[in-house]
Amino acid sequence: MSSRELESYRSGQPAQLADVLERVLDKGIVIAGDIQINLLDIELLTVKIRLLIASADKAREMGIDWWEGDAFLSKRNGQGELEQRLRKLEEAAGLPTSPKQESD
Amino acid sequence: MITPAATAPLRRNELGWYLYGVAAAGEASAPLARLAAGGAQEVELVAEGPLVGVASRVSLQEFDEAALPERLRDATWLEEKIRAHEQVLERVLEDASIVPCRFCTVYRSEVELRRFLSERREALQAALDRVRGKVEVGVKAFIDRDRFAVAQAKQNDDIRQLETQVSTAEGGRAYLKRRRLEQRVAAELDGFRGEAADRLHTRLLAAAEDGLSLPLQAPELSGREEEMVFNGAYLVTADRAAFEEALALLGRDFRDDGVDLELTGPWPAYNFVPEELGPE
Repeated sequence: MSSRELESYRSGQPAQLADVLERVLDKGIVIAGDIQINLLDIELLTVKIRLLIASADKAREMGIDWWEGDAFLSKRNGQGELEQRLRKLEEAAGLPTSPKQESD
Repeated sequence: MITPAATAPLRRNELGWYLYGVAAAGEASAPLARLAAGGAQEVELVAEGPLVGVASRVSLQEFDEAALPERLRDATWLEEKIRAHEQVLERVLEDASIVPCRFCTVYRSEVELRRFLSERREALQAALDRVRGKVEVGVKAFIDRDRFAVAQAKQNDDIRQLETQVSTAEGGRAYLKRRRLEQRVAAELDGFRGEAADRLHTRLLAAAEDGLSLPLQAPELSGREEEMVFNGAYLVTADRAAFEEALALLGRDFRDDGVDLELTGPWPAYNFVPEELGPE
């Protein structure tokens, strides 16, 4: 059967980062390496990482590198633009939000 | 930034091994040259008995356990490493079956890596046998609300009547009728989501060796505006012909309801290897 006849579905190329994350971070065999990401860390982090990267992907499409040197990543300021966006995305996705850093 | 020596027990430039996955020794010999020629990631096959570890030397400082949580917050670093992990496995998958490891499995030395491969040989071979000659594919389904509403109007008398009333009513009455129509379509959609996911999964599973459904992705992740109604992963024979045929038929069936299907892969069988190896 030729691929022409199979066009009632779309083949996503290249792989969407979300699909890669979904597998590489969550699945695959977990073995006792000498160094491993703590699985609890992973659970807490993956949600944030995904949103972070998904946002970064969109920004890059628009030609913006706003995460570079962002306050969130340098952790000087809890009210960075990225952190606010992350919180919004988390709320929208119905996820527990990242802890707000009290200013003073 | 000054890092106190006490928190950095590793010597600078000390190298460890990042393990991407495990394959059978005979199968995975061919891709080595091509992977090595690939440049960025120099991948080596560490042979131990009938198995090979597909691995790269990495800086233990970069993958230091204490530093990892911080690294994981760095989207640029993380994306690069995750893409590399996936790309290496995909290249191996072209010629060999592979048991993929989870992200960031690192051994301090070749001796430790070899010990793992020989001590867990049986469990690794069993995992490898399960995925031999097979690949994972992903199937996602998205629903277009407008097309769903049009389809409903064709199939459902109530909704068609409401549509007629909306188009003939005026002013405030038209507004109320429109609200009722929207609510009615939304109610139909609520029932349809689960039913569509069940139908898709049942029929795809019948054309696959195994399958499971994954959590749905929000639009921020999927990159599509339409709502995702199904996200599945299937273990299929490497030629995928029977599965793609089943998928094409489903695609035609569901298109009229406003549902579009998307196929991803072939992936290493991440979802079909044991999450943890059984006890030694």
